[in-house]
Order: sequence, then C-alpha cells, then structure tokens
Amino acid sequence: MDLTNREAWTAAHGMIFGALFLLAFAGGIAGLWSLRPEWVTRAGLSERMLRLKVGVTGMALVAWATVITGTYIVYPWYRAKPPKGVTDLTPYPKALLLGTPGKEDWHNFGMEWKEHVAWLSPMLATAAAFIVLYYGNQLIVDKRLRWAAMILFVAAFAAAGAAGLMGAFITKAAPLQ
Amino acid sequence: MAMSSMRSEGGKKIDEVVWTAEELDIVEKPNGPAAAALLAAAFGSLVMGILTTWAAAYTGFADKINLQHRVGPLSGKVTFAGLAFVIAWGVLSAALWKRNLQWTPVAIIAAVLIVGGFTGTFPKFFDLFEPG
Repeated sequence: MDLTNREAWTAAHGMIFGALFLLAFAGGIAGLWSLRPEWVTRAGLSERMLRLKVGVTGMALVAWATVITGTYIVYPWYRAKPPKGVTDLTPYPKALLLGTPGKEDWHNFGMEWKEHVAWLSPMLATAAAFIVLYYGNQLIVDKRLRWAAMILFVAAFAAAGAAGLMGAFITKAAPLQ
Repeated sequence: MAMSSMRSEGGKKIDEVVWTAEELDIVEKPNGPAAAALLAAAFGSLVMGILTTWAAAYTGFADKINLQHRVGPLSGKVTFAGLAFVIAWGVLSAALWKRNLQWTPVAIIAAVLIVGGFTGTFPKFFDLFEPG
C-alpha cells in the first residue's frame, strides 16, 4: 500500500481538498439557508454564526488550495511531453489520452474544461466568505445579502463540481503514476 | 422581543418571527462592500473566460501568457484573472464602501459577468474560435 509522490499529490488535490470542499459547501449552504428569523433563537444565532463563518472561510481557503496545487503541482505532470522514442505513455497522461483512439475527448473536452472552470470557484467562494464574515448577524435581517452569499456559494460549487467530476473521470482514464 | 407577522403560504396563514437589527445589536452596514465583492468575483470570472477564449483563438497570445513553462498558458490566465479579481475588489471597495446600492442592477451585472466566465471557459464555446 504505497503511494508515489505524484499519486499522493493527486489524492491531496482531488480527494482530500475536494472532500473538504464538499463538506464545507454542504455545511455552509445549509447554514445560510436556515439563517431565517423564524428558525433561529437569539441564543442559537451566535453559535450558528460562528459555525457558518468557519465553514465559509474554510470553503474559500480549500478552494484556493485545490486550484493552486492542481495547477502548479499536478497539472505539469499531467501535461509533460514524453521524450522522443518513448513508447510507454503511462507516465504522460495527456499524451496517453491524445494517443489512444476514443480517449482524446477526455483531454480535449474534459481537461480543457476542468483546468479553466475550476479557477472561478475560489474567487466566487471568497466573495461569499467575505459577505458572511463582514455582515455576520445582519444576514438574518437582510434577505438580499443572504441570497447574494448563497448564489455565490452555489456558483462556486458548480464550478468546482464540474472540475471535480471531470478530474475523477480523467484520473480513471489516465491516472497519474 | 422579535416581532411576529402573518404571511400567507399555500392558502394558509403562517405566523413568522421578524427580527429587527436593533434586537440583534446590529448596526446595519451599507451593501456597497458586498456589491464590490460580488462584482469583483464576477469580473475575475469573466476575465478568466475572456483569456481562455482569446488564448484558444490566437496561439501568439497563448505563448505570451506562458508565464511558467511547466504550466503553460494556463499560468498566465490564472495569474491575470486572479489579479483582475483582486484589483477590481480593491477599486470597487474604495468606491462603494459607504454606499447603499440597488440590488437588482448589481445582481444583473454580476449574473451576466459570471455567465460570461462560465461560457468563456467552456471548451465547446472557445473551440469555435480556434484557428482551423
């Protein structure tokens, strides 16, 4: 049960950060959705607000960590060009996908989409986190602010979800080893 | 004590609690900072979309934004989109910090920019501009 350096970074990028992102999103969106006057008491609000602030800040930080490790650590291994004369393309996932009939679209569509759309997520999640951190309890009395944070949150999740899904499929088609 | 109000939902009268800012010890802040964050993130997204499509259309441009050889043109796209986000946030925050804005135009502009970002980063879209 050994992981190579590349496999460990790929797992950190996709599974550890990805799982944390999902967890933070689920908690954050539930917290924002239920931040309604009729559902919270004044005493419960301070406890709930602290949890919400930790959740949304965590989500934004994890989103940045995911795209930075993905772009600057994992992606260069993925796109590395095989030296001339190499016939085993297994260590070169991009070349492997493009050189295998029927698998080209995992790069041409899947990776091309993933590597770009993923970067929308941390920007949108950061804006959502700012709104929650800066306004705090005001979110309970200002429905529009709460909705702005929720829409940013969902858009951040949509971008990360598309990237994560493509990443999972691509890793299955041509794993980094 | 929070106020209670009645609203109608599905033909039933519902008694709901309405908190006021004073009851929660909140000094209500203007929505300008939220609008600045929202618009800056949306602008950063749009810049990412534009750079992605532009780099697909012009190989020369893709080469110019190849800031880190191991990463390729993606390094330039993410650097400039990130900078656009940060700079826009700073500028908009300075301009809007103490202002209260109408939400509807802010939401419409942000939605258009975000949709532009998603569209510009979608391969079926930017492939349309790739040289034959």
